[in-house]
Amino acid sequence: MVANPILYIALPLFTAFLVPLLAKLWKPLVRIVPGLVLAYLAIMSIVLMQQVGPDKPIITMIAGWKAPWGINLVFTSFSGFIASLISILAFFIWLYSFKFKKVEFDDAQKYFILFMLLTAGSIGVVLTGDIFNMFVFVEITSLSAYALTAFYKGRDGAEAAFKFLLIGAFSSIMLLLGISILYAYTGTLNMAQLAMLMPQVPMKAKVVSFLLFFVALGIEAEMFPLNGWAPDAYSQAPGPIAASFAGILAKAGIYALIRVSYTIFDLGNDGGFDLLLVMGLITMVVSELVAMRQENLRRMLAYSSMGQMGLIMIAFGLGTKEGIYAGLFIMFNHAVIKSLLFLASAYLVYYTSRKKISDLDGFGKLLPVTSLLFGLGAFAIVGLPPFSGFWSKLSLLVATADSHMEFVLATILAVSVIEIIYYFRVLGRLYFRKANKEIKVRKPTWNSTVSMIVLAIVIIGVGLHPDFITGLLHNAAADLADKAGYIQKIIPDLFSQTLN
Amino acid sequence: MNQLLTYSVYGTAILVMMIGIYAMLTKKNLIKIVIGMSILDSGFNLLLIALGYIKGGTAPIFSPAVEGKDVIMVDPIPQALVLTAIVIGFGVTAVALSLVIRLYRKHNTIKIDEIKTLRW
Repeated sequence: MVANPILYIALPLFTAFLVPLLAKLWKPLVRIVPGLVLAYLAIMSIVLMQQVGPDKPIITMIAGWKAPWGINLVFTSFSGFIASLISILAFFIWLYSFKFKKVEFDDAQKYFILFMLLTAGSIGVVLTGDIFNMFVFVEITSLSAYALTAFYKGRDGAEAAFKFLLIGAFSSIMLLLGISILYAYTGTLNMAQLAMLMPQVPMKAKVVSFLLFFVALGIEAEMFPLNGWAPDAYSQAPGPIAASFAGILAKAGIYALIRVSYTIFDLGNDGGFDLLLVMGLITMVVSELVAMRQENLRRMLAYSSMGQMGLIMIAFGLGTKEGIYAGLFIMFNHAVIKSLLFLASAYLVYYTSRKKISDLDGFGKLLPVTSLLFGLGAFAIVGLPPFSGFWSKLSLLVATADSHMEFVLATILAVSVIEIIYYFRVLGRLYFRKANKEIKVRKPTWNSTVSMIVLAIVIIGVGLHPDFITGLLHNAAADLADKAGYIQKIIPDLFSQTLN
Repeated sequence: MNQLLTYSVYGTAILVMMIGIYAMLTKKNLIKIVIGMSILDSGFNLLLIALGYIKGGTAPIFSPAVEGKDVIMVDPIPQALVLTAIVIGFGVTAVALSLVIRLYRKHNTIKIDEIKTLRW
C-alpha cells in the first residue's frame, strides 16, 4: 500500500476534477469513486499513524526542494492526528450522503466535487509546513464552503453564503497582511524557519502580525465576535455539510490558530495565550446563552458548536501540557459528536419547513433509531458519563484546576448547566410529547444509519475505555509543546548552524 | 526625496485598501460591495509588490544577459505571492457575483437592507 502524506491532498483534488469525466462514463461512478478515495485515505491514516512516532515524523518534500526553499508536508503525531481525524470523518460523512434522493444528478455531481475540495483543502491546512501554502489551502476550503452553503436553491443559502464570503474576504486579506509582515522581517515563508527567526523580529511587528493572524484564523475557528457567518451557514447548508463544517472546516481553522500561536509566534509569556483564553471564554459564554433561546434546531446546534470551539480555545489558552491534552480530546469529541448530532438532526427536521424544535413533538416513537442516536449525541456533548464527552470535559476541568484558574473552572461548569437545559429541552420534546397525527417523517436510508451508528459506537467505545485514544493524544500534545523539536526535524542543517 | 517616494507608494496602496473597505462597509448595493472587495484585493497586491521592490532591480529571471554579472534583482517571492493572490481574488469575486445573481433571482433586489431573512 502506498502511504504518503502527499496523497491526502493529491487524491481528493484529482478526484474532484475527475468527477465530471466519470459522469460521462457511468453515472453511479460519481457517487462511488469519492467514497473509494476517502476510504483509501482513512486506511492510509491508520497506517501512517502507526509509522509516525515522537522522534520520527514523516516529512515530504514537494518537487524535491529541501525544506526552507520548497514546500513541505509535515506529518507528526499532532498534525497527523488531526489529518487522520478529518479523513476518517470525511469518509463517514460520504457514507451518510452518497445516496442523494432529493437532489438531481447535476447537483449531486457538484456536491461531490465541492466536498472533495473541502476535504483536500482542510487536510492541506493541517499538513502543510509553509505559511503561504496554508493561506492557499484556507482559501480552497473557504471557497468550497461558500459554494456548499448555497447548495440548496430553495433555502436562503445564497444569503448565508454571501455573508460568509464577505467575512472570508476580510479574513484572507488579514491573513495575507500578517504573512507579508512576517516575510518582510524574516525573509522566509517556511513555518519552521519562521519559528526559528522569530526572536529577531521586533515586538511591535510581532504583535501586529499575531493579531492579524488571530483575527483571520479566528473567523474560520468560529471565535466570537467573528462567527456571525456560522449559524446561517450551518442552518442553510445541507445536513452532511453542516456536519463537515463542524468536524472538518472548524477543526482545520482551530489547528491553524493553534499552530500559529504555539509554534510560530510563541507569545505565551507575553499574553498570547491569555488572549486565546479570554476570547475562548467569551465565545463559550455568549454562544451558549444565545443557543438557549434558539427555536431552530440547526441554529441551536450551530451555537452549541461555537460554544465547544470556545472550550477548545480555553484549553489551548491554558498553555500547559494538560491543557493541550484536554484541548485535543475536546477537538476529537467535538468532531465525532457534533457530526452525529448534525447528521441525526438532518433526518429529524427533514419535512418540517421551518426546522423548528417545537415541530419535533413525539419523534421518539416515529423515528426511534435517529432519535436515540440524537439523544446519545446530546448526552455525550454535555459531558455525561459513560460517554466520551465526559472524559474530555473532566480533563479540561482538571487542567484548569491545575493552572489555578478557579474562575474559568466555575464558568465552564455553569455553562455546562445551560448546555444541559437546552439539549434536554429537545429530548423532552422528542420523547415526552404526543406526536402530531398528520406529520410526515423521513426514514433514514441504510447507509446513513450505518454511518451514524459507527459514530455512536466510537462515542460509547471511547467513553467506556478512553485508553483507546489517550496514547495518541498524549503523543500529539507532547509533539505540539516541543517547538525546538519541530524546527530541528524540518530544517536540521539551519538549526544546528544557529546552535554553533 | 527617495524616502518620500517609498512612503507615497505604501501610502497609495493603503489608501486603495481603505477605499475598498469603505465600499464594503457602507454600500448597500451588493454589486458595489463586490467591487469594494476587488479594490481591497488590488490595494493589497500593490502593497506586497512594493514591499518586494529593490531600488534599481531588474526582473528576477536568470538569462544569459545577466549571468555572471553583478545585477540587482527584485525579490521574486512577493511577485509569486501576488500572482497567487490575484488568482484567488478572481475566484472569490466570481463566486461572489454568482451568489449575487442567485440572491437577485430569489429576492428580486440587490439592496442589502431589503434582504434580511436570516438574523443573528
